[in-house]
Amino acid sequence: MEKNYLWRVYWRLAGVIMLCVVLALAVVSYFSHRVFEAELVPETQQKAATIAASVRALVIKATGYGVPFASLYGVDQTLREVIDENPEFSYAALTDLDGKVLFARGQEPAEARAYFATPKVLAVSLDPTASWANEHVGKNYFVSQPIRTDKPLGTLHIVIDGKFVENVLLEVMLDVVVVLVVSLFFTLELLNFMAGARLASGLGEFQHQVERMRAGDFTATARIRANDEIGRLLRRIDAAVDHLNVRYEFLVGELEEKLRKATGERREALKPAAQAMEAVKQRLRFGSARKDSDGDEMNLNRIRAPLFAFILAEELTRSYLPNYVNQLLVVIPGLSPQVVIGLPIMLFMLIVALGQPYLGGWSERIGRRRAMLIGAFIATVGFGGSAAAVNLYDLLLWRSLCAIGYAMVFVAAQGYVLDRTGHHNRAQGFALFIGAIMVATVCGPSIGGILADNIGYRLSFAVSAVVAVASVLAIARLPAQEVRSPTSNRPSRGPRMREITALLFNGRFMTLTGLAAMPAKVILTGVCFYLVPLYIVSIGNTSAMAGRMLMVYAVMMVLIVPLSASLSDASLRRDRYVSVGLIISGISGLLLLISDSFLVLFGVVFLLGLGQALSIAAQSALVAEHCQEEIRIYGHDAVYGVYRLLERLGNALGPLLASLLVVFWGYKGAFVAISALVLFCGLAFTVASRGFDPVDDAETAKS
Amino acid sequence: MKVLRTLACCLAVAAGLAADGDAAAQAQKRFRIYAITFRGMTDVERGFQEYFAARRIPVDIIFRDLNRDAARMPGFIEEIRQTRPDLIYTWGTSVTLGAVGAYDAIDRSKHITDLPVVFTMVAAPVLAKIVPDLASSKRNLTGVYIVAPTETQMKAMASYRPIKTLGMLYTPTEQNSVVVLDEVRALSKKMGFGVIAKPFKLDPKKQVTNEGAADMVREMKQQGADWLYLPPDSYLNTQTKNLIIPAAMEAKLPTFASTEGLMETGALLGLVARYHSIGQFTAYKAEQILVQKRKPETIPVETLTRFSLQVRMDVAEQLKLPPPLPMFNYAELITPNKAPAPAAPAPTPAAAPAPAK
Amino acid sequence: MGTIRVRFILVALVVSFFAVGMSAFLNYFKYKSTISGIVKSRVLLVGRGIESSVQASIQVGMQFNEIGTLPEVLKRELLSDPLLRGIDVFDAQGVIIYSSDRPRVGQKVPDAWLQTAERSKATEWSTEAAEDYVAGISVKNAFDLTVGFLALRYAREEVDRAAAKAGGEILAAALTAFAGVAVVAPLALIIVIRRFERDLRSLEAAAGHLEDRTPAQPAAASAFDGAIATLRVSLDDANKSLDQLRAKLDAAG
Repeated sequence: MEKNYLWRVYWRLAGVIMLCVVLALAVVSYFSHRVFEAELVPETQQKAATIAASVRALVIKATGYGVPFASLYGVDQTLREVIDENPEFSYAALTDLDGKVLFARGQEPAEARAYFATPKVLAVSLDPTASWANEHVGKNYFVSQPIRTDKPLGTLHIVIDGKFVENVLLEVMLDVVVVLVVSLFFTLELLNFMAGARLASGLGEFQHQVERMRAGDFTATARIRANDEIGRLLRRIDAAVDHLNVRYEFLVGELEEKLRKATGERREALKPAAQAMEAVKQRLRFGSARKDSDGDEMNLNRIRAPLFAFILAEELTRSYLPNYVNQLLVVIPGLSPQVVIGLPIMLFMLIVALGQPYLGGWSERIGRRRAMLIGAFIATVGFGGSAAAVNLYDLLLWRSLCAIGYAMVFVAAQGYVLDRTGHHNRAQGFALFIGAIMVATVCGPSIGGILADNIGYRLSFAVSAVVAVASVLAIARLPAQEVRSPTSNRPSRGPRMREITALLFNGRFMTLTGLAAMPAKVILTGVCFYLVPLYIVSIGNTSAMAGRMLMVYAVMMVLIVPLSASLSDASLRRDRYVSVGLIISGISGLLLLISDSFLVLFGVVFLLGLGQALSIAAQSALVAEHCQEEIRIYGHDAVYGVYRLLERLGNALGPLLASLLVVFWGYKGAFVAISALVLFCGLAFTVASRGFDPVDDAETAKS
Repeated sequence: MKVLRTLACCLAVAAGLAADGDAAAQAQKRFRIYAITFRGMTDVERGFQEYFAARRIPVDIIFRDLNRDAARMPGFIEEIRQTRPDLIYTWGTSVTLGAVGAYDAIDRSKHITDLPVVFTMVAAPVLAKIVPDLASSKRNLTGVYIVAPTETQMKAMASYRPIKTLGMLYTPTEQNSVVVLDEVRALSKKMGFGVIAKPFKLDPKKQVTNEGAADMVREMKQQGADWLYLPPDSYLNTQTKNLIIPAAMEAKLPTFASTEGLMETGALLGLVARYHSIGQFTAYKAEQILVQKRKPETIPVETLTRFSLQVRMDVAEQLKLPPPLPMFNYAELITPNKAPAPAAPAPTPAAAPAPAK
Repeated sequence: MGTIRVRFILVALVVSFFAVGMSAFLNYFKYKSTISGIVKSRVLLVGRGIESSVQASIQVGMQFNEIGTLPEVLKRELLSDPLLRGIDVFDAQGVIIYSSDRPRVGQKVPDAWLQTAERSKATEWSTEAAEDYVAGISVKNAFDLTVGFLALRYAREEVDRAAAKAGGEILAAALTAFAGVAVVAPLALIIVIRRFERDLRSLEAAAGHLEDRTPAQPAAASAFDGAIATLRVSLDDANKSLDQLRAKLDAAG
């Protein structure tokens, strides 16, 4: 309850901050509008005049061949070209010397006809020295160009839509909204980072004390309390507990003393007291608390900020990496360019997949913090190198460094959480961990796309490098002292080849892994990391748009995963959630069969996010449910180790499969095909896993 | 080990020298092309030669002119067999067939089968049985054809004035024309216009005559045709200048020419392949064979991507059908006296300071 | 409570800095790209005219490097727009064949021009030279072979000046907005933080009375009432048990 209290406070603060930000943005927008209007309008008028001059030259050429002015044919075609190629223009017309419209195209403004006949305009066409005139009439701007050979013929008018400045700014608005959403998430993260750690842990500790004492545990903790409100509160509670302990010990001492000295009927008289003592001893506990039995809550929170920063650095690249690779492309004989574009992503995923099982033990040995520092440093070098990459080959090298760093930090951070949580708060610990990652996936791609569009791919990678450096600094602030997790006393190790092959041939295991877990990852990386960025840019749109789509996916995950996790836990029919999730993911790409508009992609990404969110929470718990036999034989670590390994190999397969599908069937075909594949796997999984019964929690807890 | 190393080094050096030698030899080597023309030097040959000059490819071209006399062909074939040029160039369908024969009737004694051949100025290579398919001749030749795809022609016509009904005169005994008519009919369904096709009449000996042709043109106009299409048809070619065009002008029917020859007879509009560009394209294909050492059967038979749209301005004026304004930018406007149009006053610079609002 | 207040305000400032900064940045870049586009299309219009006359010459059979009228055309078109600094026509190897600026003929264009032109998927492309912007059109012949390129150099000044001016104004607006936030946000935040501080203070106050044994204090209407109550109940309960024990012990003598 107190945890939620703190988050409610954060949300209120964030609300206030967001309000202020919106006001500030409104101010900036207003002034931008003024600037745009003041500067762009004259430039556009100039452009209109230039275009009008070229149309005039054309008309003069035609009349030069003897075509009478009034009998010109196809003028509306030329006017249509003018309007089509220049979205700022809404109307174009050719008038005769009396201002009567001979040919016109576009949306005629109400005041046009009247304007054309005004004496001033007519004078322009008659004046041999006038070049062109422009006028602000109503909401629009009229640019008029006289047409004359050796005598005046008529006038050409181009109307600039007054709203075009709004339209230009509207395009910026979308990005500003993205910035707002990202700012909201940033605010929450920063609040947590700046003040949260101590507050959260303090409040958590307070709640912990309340719970403990309600359960009758009055053991005294020997913690040092900070000197803020909560610290002082905790100290008072400690004092109260100490008083109790002192009373109790005194009573115990007195009783024992009396029992020692008592004889006979004195003893009998003491019996009720002794019984009462026993009763008390059973119900309540006194003494000193076990050291560090609860893990290290305060320092646990500290992992969120550095992890967020580091994952953000990587997520910034998602919306433009394939296009950057395209730019640096080197022709590799035998491989089609589409597949080559997917290589850096595949390599990255492969390194992460293969490294993770083994880096756990390594980070344990050299210390989590040090492992994270090394990883973040390597990744920073990787980002910097990517920014400066010469061609595909050295990009592969730099991205490999990023992958190694990513795997190191990820595993070490996971280990950090494991070390500092006990059974009772492990789920919360991981919720924190996953939460930081998911917020980074919301903020990263969208901002990255905007950056890529405006400052280019290389500088965007440089920004990622800077963010990675920030994460290094944040990691350095983590406590240097290592904590051994109370629950795990075996050193973790990667799965052995023997175990891998055995599990590969295991029917139940592979039904889950091969038909559910791997296809889910394949469609995730195939669609989000490869197809969406490339397809969006191939149809002429921007990286920012790709970033927005990836943001939709991430927002779906953020919203739905907690919901589906608790629902599937409660219902215990986790396999249903996995099936439904897979099927929804499978349907997503098929939407492209319905419509040609790229806006359909928002629907695709939405459904994909929904499906993934539904299935992912339940999937890993399902391993324990379905594969009890295997867990019994090979051990929990081994089974989960192989599961994760294969799942992450699915990550690597995604871009490969997507690129091959693009080679054969183009982008749309690839979307459809990859979805159809996942749909098929989902259905197959549903059918194949029908034999497995749901197991209730007691059984799962046993294994 | 050491022996192997020295051996490898020697081989490398030798290979290097050989390669160098090869390159040097190639640099000196001039390609020999044997060119057979049909009616003397045309712009096609000029374009052909200029391409090599611009690309600095050393070629020696031996020109032999058939001068419309097929009897000269065997002599040329003999000369080819003796001199064994690097490439053979043939102008037009009859020359090409004379040199290499139809793909299903190759006679080794009469035709060239072992030297690469590049043909040009062919109207319909597949119909003429020069190649079975434009993608590959499946033998030692490739080339360039000159007629724009029928759809492109229809679109060009429609861009001038919309086609509601198309009139077409053709020779029923010419396979080429019949095929074009089929294509036009198919396109008419697709593009939504009607077709009035009238074949030239045949005399009792099944020979084509121009009897009643002028009346046919008049009837077309009465039946509502708004264009007269002149397909690439040899007999039609001989009749246009003196018979068909005057009839069309009298009936106020605009005419569209599918070849440069037809255009020259006085049609209003034509989509023509400039001879010069055809020559250059043929040289481009020759370059692929000679310099890049590609096999002719791997080079597809193609035509230009850009054709010239030609408009005859005096005809336009007579018919009172001026070209649409955009066309003045990209079409070639032919005036009878070839004098430049009256000079327009120099356009005032568009960036003049804007006058007061 | 001072540090918490300061930290939250700091968060507000950092976030507003990011948001306002990003939106100013977006507006500036949008403006720059729009105005670049407008200016470029003006320049390309001139270019298209030149390209079509080059095309006409090629079509009638002139060799690309023998179009005699082109230098005149280039000189004339250069005058048509004061923005233009120079017009070059170069071949596929990058050597300038014609130029509005005679001395340039025969020189090689910067590699970047050639690379951008070749890599471009469309016939129109653009790049940047040392002091100018370059807008280019690729010239293709009748069978789609690129025979050369047309490059129009135009002054950076116009776009840069306009962008700088707009940038300055947008920056001013952003700073104003940020200053406004710096004033308004802390005030607004303090209102929220006060409530939070109040809760914590009442918590601390209640903590002082934990062992009071007096009946439940009137609720201070803070969010922690429940927890405090539970705490007091637990402590009470424990004390009572110990009291009973004491009583029993005393009773036993």
